Amino acid sequence: MDHTSEVSALKMVGITKRFPGVLANDQINFEVKAGEVHGLLGENGAGKTTLMKILYGLHQPDEGEIHLNGEKVKILSPRAAADLGIGMVHQHFMLVENLTALENVVLGLPAAHPPLLDLEPARLRFKELTREYDLRLDPSTPVWQLPVGDQQWLEILKLLFRDARLVILDEPTAVLAPKQAKQLFQTVRRLAAEGRAIVFISHKLEEMKEVAERVTVLRDGHVVGTVDPKVAKPSELAQMMVGRDVFLSRRERKTYPEKRDLLVIEGLSCLNDRKLPALNNLNLTVKSGEIVGVAGVDGNGQRELAECISGLRQFTSGSILINGIPVDGVVKDNSLLGYVPEDRHKTGLVLNFTVEENLFLKTFAKFPYTKRGFIQWREIRKKAEAIIREFEIRTPGSSVTTYHLSGGNQQKVVVARELSSDPALMLTSQPTRGLDLGAVESVHKMLLSVRNRGGAVLFISTELPEVMALSDRIIVMFKGQIMGDLVAEDADVNRIGELMLGHQEAMKTIP
Amino acid sequence: MSDNVKKRDILVIPGLGGMVLSGARPLLAILLAFTVSAIMIIAQGANPFEAYWAMLRGSFGSVAALANTCVRAAPLLLGGLGVAFGFKAGLLNVGVEGQIYVGGSAAAAVGLMPLPVPPWLHLILAIFAGFLGGAAWGLIPAYLKAYRGISEIVVTLMLNYVAIQFTSLLVHEPSPLAEQGAFFPQSPPILPSAQLPILIKGTSLHIGIIIGVVAALILYLLLQYTPFGMRTRMTGQNPEAARYAGINVRRQIVIVLLVSAGMGGLAGMGEVLGLKLRLYDYFSGGLGYDSIAVALIANSNIIGVVLSAFFFGALRAGAGKMETAVGIKTPIVQVIQALAVLFVIMIGFAEYTRAARKEKQQKQLEEVSVDGP
Repeated sequence: MDHTSEVSALKMVGITKRFPGVLANDQINFEVKAGEVHGLLGENGAGKTTLMKILYGLHQPDEGEIHLNGEKVKILSPRAAADLGIGMVHQHFMLVENLTALENVVLGLPAAHPPLLDLEPARLRFKELTREYDLRLDPSTPVWQLPVGDQQWLEILKLLFRDARLVILDEPTAVLAPKQAKQLFQTVRRLAAEGRAIVFISHKLEEMKEVAERVTVLRDGHVVGTVDPKVAKPSELAQMMVGRDVFLSRRERKTYPEKRDLLVIEGLSCLNDRKLPALNNLNLTVKSGEIVGVAGVDGNGQRELAECISGLRQFTSGSILINGIPVDGVVKDNSLLGYVPEDRHKTGLVLNFTVEENLFLKTFAKFPYTKRGFIQWREIRKKAEAIIREFEIRTPGSSVTTYHLSGGNQQKVVVARELSSDPALMLTSQPTRGLDLGAVESVHKMLLSVRNRGGAVLFISTELPEVMALSDRIIVMFKGQIMGDLVAEDADVNRIGELMLGHQEAMKTIP
Repeated sequence: MSDNVKKRDILVIPGLGGMVLSGARPLLAILLAFTVSAIMIIAQGANPFEAYWAMLRGSFGSVAALANTCVRAAPLLLGGLGVAFGFKAGLLNVGVEGQIYVGGSAAAAVGLMPLPVPPWLHLILAIFAGFLGGAAWGLIPAYLKAYRGISEIVVTLMLNYVAIQFTSLLVHEPSPLAEQGAFFPQSPPILPSAQLPILIKGTSLHIGIIIGVVAALILYLLLQYTPFGMRTRMTGQNPEAARYAGINVRRQIVIVLLVSAGMGGLAGMGEVLGLKLRLYDYFSGGLGYDSIAVALIANSNIIGVVLSAFFFGALRAGAGKMETAVGIKTPIVQVIQALAVLFVIMIGFAEYTRAARKEKQQKQLEEVSVDGP
């Protein structure tokens, strides 16, 4: 399977892209040969998405050049990218649910006999291609009736229909079962064998080994290096991906002689929104006086874990005990569980409510905030103003609509609300996402205060440095399971990186 | 709070600058509606000032005029409250017309029965029957919305036609509610003990308007000062956050839609027990749809609904006087009403697009700092 040719199918030279306050791509050189599957590896925010968006015409680079088959090109729109033979399967499919498979495939292509829409020639081609690539797809099935795996195949069929020469696959296995993934790899290799160039984005090391000839690793907008995944050691790749200095300093730690189990999870399994397994027989115990950090690449079951613990998601088997009380439906006792959800706009706040309403979103019906059936707004305001002072929420007043606060202060409203009821267990999911450093600091301080008074914190974040700085114990999640459980003092960033990529041997090396 | 006047509460009019809004938005819309209608009045050869002056006298110029305004405002107020209350929970109840028919029919059924109870109790039972009739009609869309995820808009709208035909059936023989041998499809007169008391002798001003104002106060207090109201508003603003806060969103949807439909039933009750005094075929004639307009102009603000219902009532009451005074036909009232609704929607849309554009700019800035996978 050697298709190396002299001219690269794709060559990106010195690509630089700046966004306000962020250098997303810094002098990136990236090259894919025809007939090659080239892996692209990197953490969240490493710049993969930006680079691919530039290639697909969604962003324009500030500096640098793109060459296709030796010719310099400017890609001003996705349409131009498609005309140049670039095809992309996005992580979130670009399909019209109400149209049939065939209609989705021809969407955007010129009609065979304009102005009439004659789908017959396309139908023949569709059938030809499905036979050729051994895909079981019926052209007249509406997309909403297709299982996710088939939707993925349909996306690939769209590219074949257009005969894309450069194919970008953005985490294509995220929605697939292992068996389907195997079939995908076969097809990907076949596409390459036909002389196409493939860019394969993934977080999973095994996949890279199985399908890619070369892997380029990105970190903080730079290219760290390009290696052969079959030769490179997993530890090497992991270090390339995460190996930076931990910039947040470690916190002072206290020990509590008497430790109680505040969170006990046994045999937990659940499905994600697409009805695929998200958690698989997960066990976890969190004790009083500790912060347990949950590390892992986004989409490995962290969100579902948080939703199960808070009772927002039904689990298919297993049990969850918070301070000895089983979770069955949404946890309403605020002294039991405080929960900072992943998306403050969608879940954590009612943006059109005032700050005081949001601070009492869960407790407004309790004494003394409701007396004899009526909400005591004066009581609420008094307490709200105290909370605003205590947690240093910057707002013109407690009766201001939360919508108008900055992101950091909105998040402080959520965290303050959850902390003010003094919960036994504090569960946070990406609590510092999108916040500036000052706000990050104060959220961290708030979480430490829970631990220091003997509560427990389960801290889910895809920001590894943050997890390492804050946690007493670190667990690493991969494909709905806990890959590793490390004491923070012994945790080494490279080992965590390997676990994040699903490399199990990293665990075995621990005595 | 002066620095807290939010930008999106300010309407920027080209040439006129910023205008502080919330209550001012509907007022501006009404002003625009009158202005545009004035052009039509001029086109018909009349003086718009004279026309509007006649309309004003016809609606507020005398005790009888004022009574007429109140009588016409009453069903719009009750129906408008139903729509606005539903909207607080994010529900668009466009089935008030149907609920008026079912509520009116239920009230008539009780009002026609010679019950062995004191007259005051008979009246109260008949009023309640109206509320319950409407609520029962709302049970269907409420269940389908909360437990089957079916749009309440479609269901409530379609049920209107069912309700209208159902009432028609009731007033035609051999229905027990139909008057024997009448040459018009109607019920016998409502028993005096179940008729709504008249407030001013010599007018048809019944207590429906008082029921409406009291209901508005109760709903206002409910929404602003009780946990039930907080749950309702949360359900309307962000159902996912409501679920996160431990609220049973489905139950809330059912209760709110039942109350909303019950208000529609009360509107029908008032028409039957207070004004028509019989159950007639097609007795509402679109009051339920006008109620939606009432709620729209008030932006579903409960107190605003009281004002906009009075405004609509006044338009109708004054239309006759305008016709006799300057010869402009009464349907101009429908034009003014429709234009006012359109202008409210247009102003709202202009503000919305402006806000959306701003939000998009902000999002773009945020997106790059959390460049996801």
